[in-house]
Amino acid sequence: MKTYFFLGKGGVGKTTASAAWSVGLAHSGMKTLVASIDPAHNLGDAFAIRLGDRITHVGDNLDAVEVNIEDMIRAYLDELSVKMKHTYSYMSAMNIDGYFDILKNSPGIEEYATMEAIKKFVALTEYGVVVFDTPPTGMTIRVLAMPRVSLLWTEQLIKMRKRILATRGMVENVQGKFEAEVDGEKVVLSSREKEDPIMQELVSYREELLALKDMFSSDQSYVEIVTMAEDLALSETKRIIESLGKFKIRVRAIYLNKFFAMANPPEEIQGKMEEQERVVGRMKAEIRGIEVKNIPLLRKSPRGINELLDVYSKYLV
Amino acid sequence: MRRLLDSLKQSFRTFDKGMREDATSLIRKQLDEEENVFALLTMGVFSGIPSPPTGVVLRILPHMSREIAVMNKRSAGLDDVFSQTLGTFDID
Repeated sequence: MKTYFFLGKGGVGKTTASAAWSVGLAHSGMKTLVASIDPAHNLGDAFAIRLGDRITHVGDNLDAVEVNIEDMIRAYLDELSVKMKHTYSYMSAMNIDGYFDILKNSPGIEEYATMEAIKKFVALTEYGVVVFDTPPTGMTIRVLAMPRVSLLWTEQLIKMRKRILATRGMVENVQGKFEAEVDGEKVVLSSREKEDPIMQELVSYREELLALKDMFSSDQSYVEIVTMAEDLALSETKRIIESLGKFKIRVRAIYLNKFFAMANPPEEIQGKMEEQERVVGRMKAEIRGIEVKNIPLLRKSPRGINELLDVYSKYLV
Repeated sequence: MRRLLDSLKQSFRTFDKGMREDATSLIRKQLDEEENVFALLTMGVFSGIPSPPTGVVLRILPHMSREIAVMNKRSAGLDDVFSQTLGTFDID
């Protein structure tokens, strides 16, 4: 399966570019899913239809979905709460119930839910391609970096857990079954990795993270930057490429959207056009090995499959 | 005679249990400490300690009851660390 992540600041045209790209791929015969993981959705506006949490058929070979990250967080925490009521025979240890409201707003939860959404869609084997319309740059970079960072923590916690189980084993060797009292209740704790639920959870999470990390840095996963031909955008683009490079994620193409292309520009925008030319020149010189393409400022925003296909065939391929 | 043998067996069992518990008491303390560190590292966000990415914490949270209990027990006894240490080494 191929994945495409469209990255960029808010308002640069990521949604239009990702929608047009997905229409183009579907038109060429690939079974495509385009998923908006940006909390401020407007993928439905690009297709001129109403989209929601459920995958919707929008054209030949093409489905679309807008993920509601807040709902995902709520559903996940509800599920977690039920799981905890089964495993925690008491809830008084730290009044866990009371912490769920805080967890909803805890730092990193949105990135975590976004990563889970990506994981869910790339697991759908019926699609040959998944195109992601992402949240603004900063958050997307944190999401793409998450598997690698989480993996570092998970590896360390696995090491610590092994040590705990080894110490438990020592007690077990002398005393037989390791019994402990948790809030007045006797529980038997195992020193075997396969019987320790925390170890099992850490090991299976490590597997999931490894798969995601490999997927992000594989040659089947592409990052496309959507930006504008402006001085500030050039520095930002270079920073994105550098940040992603640290996590071995490669950028395939840069789209300079809302590009002024006119033969006789009015005096008011001549300065802007000079800036454009300068930025394009520097971009081509300073960023090697990445395709740079211009998408002109269009008379009207493309809406619906036909107009998006027009953008794809004229400017994206 | 049988009753005498039974009570002898029982006393040996109690003696054996006591010896074994005594032999592992230090290791148990070490285990408590390791579990406490594990809990502090993963659940420390609740007491202001920097924590691992939320995903890792949420995954293991349902199974952390024992570690959280150890962490709570340790925090409750933090004002009496000196006597705990002396107790560990059987110093009266």
